[in-house]
Amino acid sequence: MKIEKLLFPTRFRELAFDSLQSLLVLKDAGLKEIVFCYIIPREDVGFVPYGGYLKEEEERVREEARIRFEDWQKVLSEKGIGSKIVIEVGSIVPGILSIAERERVDMLVVGRKKKVGLEMSFAGSHTLQLIMRSKIPTLVSKYMVEFQWNGETATRVNADIFRRPLLATDWSEPSIRTLEFLTNLKTLIEKVFICHIIGVKISKGLDKMELLRIEKESKERLKDYCKRLKSAGIPAEPHLGAGKILLEILRLSRDLHASMIIMGTTGKDRLHEIWLGSISHRVAEGSELPTLLVP
Amino acid sequence: MLLMKYSLPIIILAVFAPVSPAFAVGGVYPNIGETLPLYSIIPFVGMLLSIALFPLLAPKFWHDHFGKVSAFWAVVVSAPLLISYKGTAVYEILHIVLSDYVPFLILLGSLYTVSGGIFLKGTLRGTPVVNTAILVIGTVLASWMGTTGAAMLLIRPFLKTNAHRKNRTFMVVFFIFAVANIGGSLTPLGDPPLFLGFLRGVPFFWTFNLLPQMIITSILLLAVYFAIDTYFYKKEGILSSPDDGTKEPIKLEGAYNFIFLAGIVGAVLMSGVVKWGAVSILGIHRGVQDVVRDGLLILMATLSMAFTPRKVREDNAFTWFPIKEVAILFIGIFLTIIPCLKILQAGTKGELAFLIETVREPFHYFWMTGILSSFLDNAPTYLTFLNTALGSFYTGFAETAAVKLLINERPIYLLAVSCGAVFFGAMTYIGNAPNFMVRSIAEEAGTPMPSFFGYMIKYSIPILIPIFVLITFIFFV
Repeated sequence: MKIEKLLFPTRFRELAFDSLQSLLVLKDAGLKEIVFCYIIPREDVGFVPYGGYLKEEEERVREEARIRFEDWQKVLSEKGIGSKIVIEVGSIVPGILSIAERERVDMLVVGRKKKVGLEMSFAGSHTLQLIMRSKIPTLVSKYMVEFQWNGETATRVNADIFRRPLLATDWSEPSIRTLEFLTNLKTLIEKVFICHIIGVKISKGLDKMELLRIEKESKERLKDYCKRLKSAGIPAEPHLGAGKILLEILRLSRDLHASMIIMGTTGKDRLHEIWLGSISHRVAEGSELPTLLVP
Repeated sequence: MLLMKYSLPIIILAVFAPVSPAFAVGGVYPNIGETLPLYSIIPFVGMLLSIALFPLLAPKFWHDHFGKVSAFWAVVVSAPLLISYKGTAVYEILHIVLSDYVPFLILLGSLYTVSGGIFLKGTLRGTPVVNTAILVIGTVLASWMGTTGAAMLLIRPFLKTNAHRKNRTFMVVFFIFAVANIGGSLTPLGDPPLFLGFLRGVPFFWTFNLLPQMIITSILLLAVYFAIDTYFYKKEGILSSPDDGTKEPIKLEGAYNFIFLAGIVGAVLMSGVVKWGAVSILGIHRGVQDVVRDGLLILMATLSMAFTPRKVREDNAFTWFPIKEVAILFIGIFLTIIPCLKILQAGTKGELAFLIETVREPFHYFWMTGILSSFLDNAPTYLTFLNTALGSFYTGFAETAAVKLLINERPIYLLAVSCGAVFFGAMTYIGNAPNFMVRSIAEEAGTPMPSFFGYMIKYSIPILIPIFVLITFIFFV
């Protein structure tokens, strides 16, 4: 699961270029090419009521996007990273997913709005749809975010995002795949924090002995995860938490000064995720850190 | 925007400054059309001219602000009506919204949703025979799934089938003629004007009376198409479509949506057959069967959304945008048309008496409805001339009773209005809603389409007008 080619869809919002630059360190981990993509929403140029199609408008937007991308390409070229530009008219989410499939990229990078918070829901947003439907690792990039910290609004810049990743595992298959993913980022990582949270739903109603058994088993599994990473030459530190899973992951990420959160995601149970949001999607929404979801 | 900002109060003042006794005093509900001044139809004319001219003169502005334009004209008509006619105006507005606009939108929305769940995939070879067959299928389907539904179902496969062909523009134009317009003439599901007629009491199967006109027009059109396509096919020297190794068998995905389509047909049919009494919604009496029909249509659309995999809709490039556009534009159209309809219903007592006196013969109705349908949307034009006929012959009758009398005593007038509205919708890009959707999809797919006037000069006038002249002599003289 090497990251040699990544897809960077953008709408050229502020900080998009900074977000791109924060990813260029991936060259040291084997990144060879970035595919820039811009989807012109069909509604922006098509279906003019009783009029048809705004061909000139499409061409203008295409040219604008091309010029901007070509400027970015120069920076990539200087760093020795190849690049490609794809500009298409269509629907944003299916368009991006189809390009990701067609270009056989290893990772998709999606931006998100500037503010994060647990009370905010991004149900229906392009970001949620993309992370729910993506079949490849998807990074929710957050170069600069505003978030609530001790009742006040704080701003955080996420520049060196691969240095101290926090891997939150639920022992699922995708969680195990994240380990493999991390080993490919070896050159960029200072230390990996691996955490598992014994959720309230599990601990509620259990007798002490049973809880101790789960605790012991979890610690052993965490150790095993760490061992695997250490054998690949990456320092790793286990952390066991208990309580509300989402809040615990966010607390640990702050306590440990993590630089990003990595989680496996099953993409199952579409209805449940639309209405309630899976833990991984809610972490992507609530955390001020970039979140990498590995399916 | 500045112009719009200041022109709203100016137009409202212009409508009211010389307040006529009719507007100032207000009238009793049944006589509203007799007292409304002629200038009360200005917002309707403005709304229709906006639809006709903005896409032509300022397409980007129109694309970005058509909702504001629609709202502007809606306010311009509603505010004076409400101020002057108070309760009566509220009744008229609610009546047209609940009895016409909402069912109209529900029908279009459900047909659009269900047909958007059917995806025709596969590789076809774009020969004259195959293309003509697609047009025949589309023409037949249009009456049962709506011109919009049939056009949306077939336009992308049609374009894909002919992607290797050099001359494709004429194909799309004939597609607009046959599938997006003429084909929709047999049932109230086919074309919006016919559904508005159905809502006003025209029986579901009455529109089958348009079959002779529809068959003659379609046969002539398809024959001309076949001849042109054969000519270009030979000229292009195509022996076979390019084999790029991606040949895919023909497959209809989401075919179970035809069940929901049958549900829509059944629901509309049911509402025309049974009478289950009336129910009052916000003071407006609506037939229980009509409310049930609307509920069933929403159910069919919901079931289609629930059962159709997302991939099928995405492959169809399904988007809600066109339906949103129709919803936004038609609320403006339906509100602004109120004074016009009321004046026409007043017959010779209304301010449009001159129109009623001028348009007398069936061929007048065919051509007047037709010409106006070419440049204005055909749904409001149909209503206008249906009411002209009702005002001419049955002044003072309740609308449903007048429609019944018209069908029994002078059906040729209704035939002329129906044919005019449906057939002439093909004359321009703005004649019928699916025309612009087809154009948009074709241009996006890289098929060059003629300009507004190019479409008329090169195609619709030389091809359609002679056919319509023939129809006139056979049926309406």
